[in-house]
Amino acid sequence: MSNNTDYILQVKDLKKYFPIKGGLLSHTVGQVKAVDGVTFNLKRGTTMGLVGESGCGKTTTGRVILRLAGEKTGGEVLFNGQEVYDMSHKQLRGLRTKMQIIFQDPFSSLSPRLPVGEIIGEAVREHKLVSKAEFNDYIDNVMDHCGLQPFHKDRYPHEFSGGQRQRICIARALALNPEFVVCDEPVSALDVSIQAQIINLLKELQEQRGLTYLFISHDLSVVEHISDTVGVMYLGNLVEYGATDDIFKNPLHPYTKALFSAIPVPDPKAKMNRIVLEGSIPSPANPPAGCKFHTRCANCMEKCKHEAPVQKEIEPGHYVVCHLYDDAKDVSKKEAPHA
Amino acid sequence: MENKKETYSLNDDRRVRVLSPGAMVAKRFFRNRLAVVGLIMLLTMFVFSFIGGLLSPYDQDEQFYATTQQQQEYVGVVRNNDFRYTVADGMEFGSAAQAQFLLAQGKGESTFSYKDVTYEWVEEGADLYSIYANGTLLAFAAKDIVNEEEAALPFSVKYEALKAYVNGETSFTAEGASYELDEEGNIIENGAVIGYVSRFVVRSQENGVVISRDFREALEDAIETEVSDFVYTGEDGETYTYEITYNASAQNWSVLQTKDTYVYDRYASPSSRHWLGLDTNGMDMLTRLMYGGRVSLVIGFIVVLIAAFLGIILGGIAGYFGRWVDNLIMRIVDIFYCIPSMPLIIILGSAMDNAQMDSQLRMLYLMLILGFLSWPSIARMVRGQILLLREQEFMTAAEASGIRASRRIFKHLIPNVIPQLIVICTMSLGSTIITESTLSFLGLGVKFPFASWGNIMTDVNDAFVMTHYWYIWIPAGICLLITVLGFNFVGDGLRDAFDPRMKR
Repeated sequence: MSNNTDYILQVKDLKKYFPIKGGLLSHTVGQVKAVDGVTFNLKRGTTMGLVGESGCGKTTTGRVILRLAGEKTGGEVLFNGQEVYDMSHKQLRGLRTKMQIIFQDPFSSLSPRLPVGEIIGEAVREHKLVSKAEFNDYIDNVMDHCGLQPFHKDRYPHEFSGGQRQRICIARALALNPEFVVCDEPVSALDVSIQAQIINLLKELQEQRGLTYLFISHDLSVVEHISDTVGVMYLGNLVEYGATDDIFKNPLHPYTKALFSAIPVPDPKAKMNRIVLEGSIPSPANPPAGCKFHTRCANCMEKCKHEAPVQKEIEPGHYVVCHLYDDAKDVSKKEAPHA
Repeated sequence: MENKKETYSLNDDRRVRVLSPGAMVAKRFFRNRLAVVGLIMLLTMFVFSFIGGLLSPYDQDEQFYATTQQQQEYVGVVRNNDFRYTVADGMEFGSAAQAQFLLAQGKGESTFSYKDVTYEWVEEGADLYSIYANGTLLAFAAKDIVNEEEAALPFSVKYEALKAYVNGETSFTAEGASYELDEEGNIIENGAVIGYVSRFVVRSQENGVVISRDFREALEDAIETEVSDFVYTGEDGETYTYEITYNASAQNWSVLQTKDTYVYDRYASPSSRHWLGLDTNGMDMLTRLMYGGRVSLVIGFIVVLIAAFLGIILGGIAGYFGRWVDNLIMRIVDIFYCIPSMPLIIILGSAMDNAQMDSQLRMLYLMLILGFLSWPSIARMVRGQILLLREQEFMTAAEASGIRASRRIFKHLIPNVIPQLIVICTMSLGSTIITESTLSFLGLGVKFPFASWGNIMTDVNDAFVMTHYWYIWIPAGICLLITVLGFNFVGDGLRDAFDPRMKR
C-alpha cells in the first residue's frame, strides 16, 4: 500500500478480537471477533458512512482506528501514511489533535462536573494550541461555529438539551482543529428535527474546514445524505464498500440488498419489496465458517459454507466480498481496493 | 462577533440563573427538611463543643471542693455503777469474797465470812466502803475511780484520796505526805496533778486518740448538765463540735465528733454555678461535655480523614489500573473485612493500658487504629465508582483528546466520585463517633483527664449513680444521640441531593 497523500486514512485487514475470560484461572477461553478484517481507504475531505446492524462492529472499528480500544489484533491503520499503533505515547498525544471522535450519547460523553467552556477548552489548553491571550476568543469562536453562545461557557452539561449537548461534543472535537473526525452515531440519540440540524452543522463544518468524517450510523437515510462513500459491515467484516450512489442504486451483496430494502419510501403507492433476513446475527465469538453471512443468505451456495470470500472491485471504487461475484471481472485486478 | 456578544448578553443569561452542580446540590439539600434539621443539630453540637469550651469559665479537669460535716464516733462514756475493788498491796480479796461483800452490803450486815475468814466493812462515805479482815484494811470498794496521771499511785494515796473526795474535803495526808484535792477531783501533790477521781469511764473509739484531761472535764460537765452538744478546742487549736447521745439500755453516752472537712464535691446537683452539676471527680459536667464533644468530633473527623485518604488512594489505584493491582488491593480489602475489629481494638487498648501510655499519645494511636481499620469500605466504594466512570464516554473523550492521565484522574474521575465519597464519609463519621464512645466507655479509648462523651458515661456502670444522678449520664447520651443522628440526617440529605433519582 503506497502512501498516497490523497488518502487521509488507510485501513488494511484491521482486526480486533476481545478475549473471553473464563474458567478457574481466568484464562482466555475464546475471542469475540468484533472487527475481523476491515479494509478501506478514506480520501481527504470526504465522508465515509459505515452502516450495519447493531453489534456488527461499527463502533469498535471507529475506536480501533483512533487507538481507543487497547491494542489491535492485526492489520494496519495508516493515518496520513503513518501507522497509528507504532507511535509512542508522546507522538500519539500529538496525533490526538488531528483525529477526534463524536459519541453517540451526548449525555454520558460530557463530564457532569465541568462547565462547558472547560469541556471544550480543556484539550486546547492541554495541547497549547493557542496562546493564553487568544484562548477565550478562540473558544468563543469555536462555540459560535457550532451554534453555541459564549455565555454557555459557564454552564454545566445538565442545563442543556440533547441537541445542544451534541453541539458541545462537536465543539469539543473541533476545538482541536482536527483533520479527521469519527462520528459514532452522532444523531441516533436525537429527535429528527435536531438530527437535521446536527447533520447540516457537520456538513457546514466540513465545507469550511475540509474535514474528513467517518460517519458511523445505522440510519441509512442519514448516511445517504451525508456520505460520499459507504461501507456496509456484517459481523466484523466490511462486506461491501463503494461510492454512495453506487451502493444505494446498485447494491451487490445480498446483505446490502436486504438492508437497503428496509429503507422506508415516502410514497404510499410504492410497493415495498422487502427482503426479510431469517434468524438473528450470529455470535461474533463463534462466527460461522466460510462466508459469515451464509446462515442468513438467500443466495447461499455450498461454497459459501466452507470458503471465506475475498474483497473484489466490481466497478471502479465499488468493492464487494461475496462468492456470487467470483466470476465477475475484477476491475482493479488486485485484491486490495486501490483506486 | 462583538455585536453578537452584545445581543447574547441581553439574552437569557440575564434571566436564567446559572447553577453549578454544587449549587444544585445545595439547593436540593436545603429543600430537604430533615437534612436541614440534621445540619442544625450538627451546627449546635459544633458550637457547643468548640465555642462552648472557650466560653466556659472552668477547665475540663478543674476540680471543685465542698465542705461537709463529717461525724465520727469519738469516745464512749460509761458511768460507773458497779463497785470496783482496790486491794491493798500483798492482800487478797478474790471475786468470790467480793460477791459475799455485795450480799452483806445489800442486806445491811456489817460482817460477812468466806472460807473461814470473817470480814467486816465500814461505809466511809457515798459509795466507798472499807473492807477489813481481823482489823487490817484489806481493800476498798468504790464506784468512783482514781485515775493516775503518770506514775502509779500507792494504795494508801488512792484510799485517802477517795475518802477525802466522798467527804468533800480539800486535802488529805497519806503516808506522811499531804495532798490536795480540788473540786474537780484532781489530786494535787506539791502543785502538780498526779491523778483524779471520777465516776465516768471514758474510752476512745479510735486508735491513737489520747483523751486529754481537759476534754474529759468538759465532757463530764456536759453530761452532768445534760446538754446534748458542746464545743471544745483541743490543745492543737482545732475546734470541733461534739454531740452527746445517751443510750439508756446500755447506760452509756457516745460522743460524736463533728468535723468540717474539705472534699471533692462529687455528684453535686445542678446549680447556677454548675448547670449540669459535678461529676464523680468534682469536675464541672457541662464543661466536660463541651471538651468531650471536641474530642469526640475531632477523633471522628481525623479517623474519617485517614480512612478516606487511604480509601481514595487505594480504591482509586485499584479502579483505575485494574488487572492484578485491582485484584491485589481488593484481596487486602477482603482480609481487612475479615478482621474482627472490636476484639482487635480491645486487645490493642489493653496493650496500651499495659504500657501505661500517655493519654494524649493514646488518643493519637486510637485515631490511627480506627482509621486504619475503616478504609476498606471507602476503598471498595471508590473502586466501584471509578470502574463505573472509567467506562463512561467522557473518559474515552478525554483520552481521545490526548489529555494526560493525571488530569484525567483528578479532573474527570475524582470530582465524579466526590458525591458518593462525601455521603459515605458523613455516614461513617457518625459510626466512628459511636465506636470511639463505646471504647471510651469500656475504658479502652480516651482516658482521663481527657473527656469524651464515652468516658463521661462510664460512671453509669454504678447502678446507684445511674438511678440517682441523671445529670451524670443523660446529657452525654443526648449529645451523642444528637450528633450521630445529625450526621445521619445530613448524610441522607446529601445522598438525596447528589442523586436526584433518590427523591421520594
